[in-house]
Amino acid sequence: MNTDWHELIQRHIAGLTTEEEATLLQNSLKRDDAVARLYLRYMNLDVALEAHAGSKAAVTEMLVSPSQIESKRRSVWLSWRPLTAAAAGIVFGMFCTSVVFGFVVQRGLEKKTPLAVVQPSFEDAQMLLAKGFPDASAHWGGDAAHLVTAEHGVSAKEGKYMLRLEASPRGSPRFVYQVLDLTSIPAIARADTREIEISASFAAADAESAMRCIIRAFAVSEVRENLDAAWVDHRDEAIASATRGLDVMSGSKGWQTMSLKIQVPRNARSLVLFFGVRTPDKTLPKSAHYLDDVQVSLIEPLPLP
Amino acid sequence: MSQPPDHPQHDQFLRLYAEHEVALHTFVRSLVPTRQEASEVMQEVIVALWQGFSSAEEFRPWAFGVARNQVRMHLRSRLRDRHVFDDELVNRLADMAVHQEPKHLTEREALEGCLQKLPQSQKELVLVAYTKGTRMDDLAKRRGQTPMSLYKLLHRIRQALLDCVERTLAQEETA
Repeated sequence: MNTDWHELIQRHIAGLTTEEEATLLQNSLKRDDAVARLYLRYMNLDVALEAHAGSKAAVTEMLVSPSQIESKRRSVWLSWRPLTAAAAGIVFGMFCTSVVFGFVVQRGLEKKTPLAVVQPSFEDAQMLLAKGFPDASAHWGGDAAHLVTAEHGVSAKEGKYMLRLEASPRGSPRFVYQVLDLTSIPAIARADTREIEISASFAAADAESAMRCIIRAFAVSEVRENLDAAWVDHRDEAIASATRGLDVMSGSKGWQTMSLKIQVPRNARSLVLFFGVRTPDKTLPKSAHYLDDVQVSLIEPLPLP
Repeated sequence: MSQPPDHPQHDQFLRLYAEHEVALHTFVRSLVPTRQEASEVMQEVIVALWQGFSSAEEFRPWAFGVARNQVRMHLRSRLRDRHVFDDELVNRLADMAVHQEPKHLTEREALEGCLQKLPQSQKELVLVAYTKGTRMDDLAKRRGQTPMSLYKLLHRIRQALLDCVERTLAQEETA
């Protein structure tokens, strides 16, 4: 029998399968890894589309408030999590009203300690940039990147130099990488994780072209010296990871700054950072993007008075 | 209330939960028959996670374990339904879902671009169809379609989106 698995899985999702079809699907899911993977992909798609629809509804509501412009510009895909609000409600619901207000205030009470990033503003014109993953000779590595001064109407955000990420012929993302040594960062008393914030600024050579900026962070238990290009293929094994995308619409001139927070487990000894940009519209001519002013900070909550 | 509020713990819990929420929801959705049930189970998962939360260490595997237990409890009441998977399959899919999550994350990222490529009418249809409270038969009626033709159209759109995601990731890998 030549089964259309796409059709059968979708019929299952819609609750339309007959008894025989349901049995066939269950048996195949048990035996056939490819069918099981396809099924999980459809489920992932289902949840993502549901979240997307929820996000759009939320953004529509936000449009009435000009003060929310920054929120709208962020990728609703990655930033809006419908159930988080429910989670907050449930958690807060266990406490009295005054605690809810207390929590809101408390979120601002954080201590930020900058961590040492090598060449955060790319100001050393002799800086070595490894091809691909950073190696022993260089702290930064990149797919296709060069240090440049002002060009195409873009000046460095900090200092004189910035990093140019060359255009990919098909608009695919170009990444640069740095591995941070976490072994010297003090643990926070009584905490099993440390919160680290990574921020970076991106700009486009062609402001008329939309761009998607990406920061990824992977906390790993290996020390920096033991990580090499082969690690990239095993990055799914990181003990913690976080990704954030920022969609910048066409016509947005100047630098766009974004940040990402990651909870880094106590046993992490390195933090691998990816910074990338891609052009979502592959039909447009490709042009370069720029990266500057990379900052990494340890975030510590301050005790309540 | 039996325990005093612990603000840093709330904060830590919410941040961890927010970080893993989509992955947990996908995991739960993979194991229960309908979106509505997945939402209901997720509510139980959130409560169970908060009640059992003591440390951020190993939060992810612990949270997936809690979610798996909640799914099992939910499915016990529905064993006779043909859309409900048996324990063996639930365990297999649960293991695979955890393993596949990093890949699913990149697929969700790529999906955003793929949605933008859909014709406007299809984009709007997806939005409406996936908005909470939308009934497919009502939607079909409003569009002047039969439920089956609407179902087939959504089927084609979902398959196109999956194909687009696959192509996008393949291009990014080879770039």
